[in-house]
Amino acid sequence: MGIEYLASVFNTILRQTAPILLVALCAGVCSKVKVFNIALEGTLLTSAFFAFLTQYFLRNILLSVLVAMGVAMLLTFIMSFFIVKLNGQPMIVGMAINTFSLGFTTFMLSMIFDTKGTVTITGENAGLPKIALPVIKDIPVLSTMFTNLTAIDYAAFLLAIVMYIIMYKTVIGFRLRAIGINQSAASSLGINVARNQIIATTLSGAMIGLAGCLLSLGSVTLFIQNISSARGYVALAANNLCQGHPIGALLSSLLFGFTQALARVLQNTAIKQQLLECIPYIATIAAMAVYNAIARRRAKAAKL
Amino acid sequence: MIFEMKDIVKTYGPVVANNNVSLHLNRGEILAIVGENGAGKSTIMKILYGLVRPDSGEIYVNGKKMRFRTPSDAMAAGIGMVQQHFMLFEEMTVAENIVFKNEIHRGPFMDMNKTVETVRALSDKYQLKIDPTARISECPVGLRQRVEILKILYQNAEIIIFDEPSAVLTPLEVDALLETMRQLAAAGKSIVVITHKLQEVMAVSDRVYVMRQGEVVAERKTADTNIEELAFLMVGRQIVNRVIQPVHAEKTLLETKDLRLTEDGREVLKGIDIHVDAGEIVGIAGVSGNGQSELINCITGLTPVTGGQVLVQGQDVTNRSVRAIRDAGLAHIPEDRYVWGSAPEGTLEENALMGRQDSEPFSRRGLTNHGRIREYARKLIADFAVKASSPTQKMRELSGGNAQKLIVAREMSLDTPVLICCEPTRGIDIGAMEAIHDRMVKKRDSGAAVLLVSSELTEIMSLSDRIYVIYEGRINGEFKRDSMDDKALGLLMVGGAVNHE
Repeated sequence: MGIEYLASVFNTILRQTAPILLVALCAGVCSKVKVFNIALEGTLLTSAFFAFLTQYFLRNILLSVLVAMGVAMLLTFIMSFFIVKLNGQPMIVGMAINTFSLGFTTFMLSMIFDTKGTVTITGENAGLPKIALPVIKDIPVLSTMFTNLTAIDYAAFLLAIVMYIIMYKTVIGFRLRAIGINQSAASSLGINVARNQIIATTLSGAMIGLAGCLLSLGSVTLFIQNISSARGYVALAANNLCQGHPIGALLSSLLFGFTQALARVLQNTAIKQQLLECIPYIATIAAMAVYNAIARRRAKAAKL
Repeated sequence: MIFEMKDIVKTYGPVVANNNVSLHLNRGEILAIVGENGAGKSTIMKILYGLVRPDSGEIYVNGKKMRFRTPSDAMAAGIGMVQQHFMLFEEMTVAENIVFKNEIHRGPFMDMNKTVETVRALSDKYQLKIDPTARISECPVGLRQRVEILKILYQNAEIIIFDEPSAVLTPLEVDALLETMRQLAAAGKSIVVITHKLQEVMAVSDRVYVMRQGEVVAERKTADTNIEELAFLMVGRQIVNRVIQPVHAEKTLLETKDLRLTEDGREVLKGIDIHVDAGEIVGIAGVSGNGQSELINCITGLTPVTGGQVLVQGQDVTNRSVRAIRDAGLAHIPEDRYVWGSAPEGTLEENALMGRQDSEPFSRRGLTNHGRIREYARKLIADFAVKASSPTQKMRELSGGNAQKLIVAREMSLDTPVLICCEPTRGIDIGAMEAIHDRMVKKRDSGAAVLLVSSELTEIMSLSDRIYVIYEGRINGEFKRDSMDDKALGLLMVGGAVNHE
């Protein structure tokens, strides 16, 4: 196993991590303002679909990205409005969006492209442009590590830092966190809690749109039914592990990105394919179990 | 005069919470508003703070007529309120809590150094010692209250309202609080304190309003009055006398010996010795929050005691399960009829059965007998004249009085030698109240021991053969039926002492 191979594994990890991280960052904002967003999966799938659709017909990558962000923000707004303003059960609202999204994208796929399989975009500039870093592209191993990454991949990691600064260093972030900690205390001081919750979640939804672009216009430029394949739920788990902290989300997303990459790397070994596909999900369950065990022990210790 | 309220009227449906209340506050003064629970003192302050809007009446601040729609309006006019339930962000620091909504920032960023500095300066200025960088979750109650006060000072409030500020504090913290109030007044702030603790009123205030049944019944300069007068003005109510034949007390059926309870480091019960004999109703009188709920929870097994003993029919049941205690011969009409007393979403049948589901004839080998249960529910409904359309109706569909009657019916028909009644008639109409009272007396006449806890003094005085007065987790006095004195009772309830001859 050469060093070049390891470098390419590293590259796969980065590419698997980016979409999960973007969704987890959105989940982080939602959980900080106490809006339980389980609609991440459906939002991701729908925005991936619209990114693909726009690109397929118009071949305008910037427009495709904007459309995906808009769609994701719209769905997140609907989720948030139903939960915050109309007192909907977060679980029901989220699942409604998720099941709708799966059905809607599948239906549209067969309506527009007359297929239940794969639709691809081919040719020049089919997807997001790949960025070649100036000096690094000429260094052997490093170039493999950072090959074929798009602007959104880099943006994902950068956004983790930006979100950390917003949530923990600015006045806006301070207020949002305070709202999540004690809504009635915030409103007793004249803060419009509902409005803040809805605006914050809706804006953070844009990050899911970016993740959607990575799925259908990133390393591959295609759309298949259920292309998100539970990444939204994995991101939810990643966010749970880090309690909504953006830098924590970076680390926990890397963990899940690693397991997804692992499944791919082991593809050509003797291990059964179906078993490999389970790895990310088994890792999710294991991580949640370990996390909960630790949290429970800590809670117990705090009580004594 | 820094503020004035004129002819404030506030009604909630048929209940008049404030009836033509007028009061005023002078600059640099500590004003106390006293009254029993439900006298309307909290309502009047909520109106001043913009939490509640009055039906009529006027508010003036610095001679200017005001209309407060929200607490923000009141805050803008320089009025701040230290709520009974603190409004703090647990996981944040003291400084962050104080500056929330008026953050010190540099561009979009929080300026934490300056925030901490400002808060420290504020704390020094008013001699309110705190650590700006401590997390609220690590602060004891007294400190949290101090943070609330600083929050209000940070917003430049001129008028500070304290709503029952000492209710949650330990005695040492109370002393510190009173000192704080004096300092604030000396610094030119005007203070309103709502309380029913008369010693604190005497210790700290300049002037007192006494409220009763929604009206201001008296205004006194603190220097010109005393605890006895205030207690009398507060309680001063008519006592309905019910003719009760004295019954010869025989053996003791319920007894507590040196019962103690410590919750979160606070001593809630400090050694309670009471006994209830066969054929008597014993009342526990006290301002709510002095340990009566905890006492009942300890007796009935809902809260494990820290020390002491509970005896039912001479049998030690201390810290036994609720089930075991009930089986030892005790029934309990709980304080909150929808939390402890019944399952609001359950049917009347199910609620009538509760506690007897394991016993014959209602069930056998784990299977319930529906016919028997329904028959029994119908019988309870008929015997206690519960107004209900059918036994399969949901509990929450009944009016409060009828729901209470069903709970009373269930507990009384257990025919236990000991019955505990907590606030048995709270919030129900007079008809239902009379019916429940009659049943309690009947129960006593049949030789049972009845322990009655009620914040309604009239109820206790008209029903009880004997009364214990509870104050701050201690029995502060005891009366026999023939030696009851409402003035002395009122005084004992607020912590005073009476010379027994």
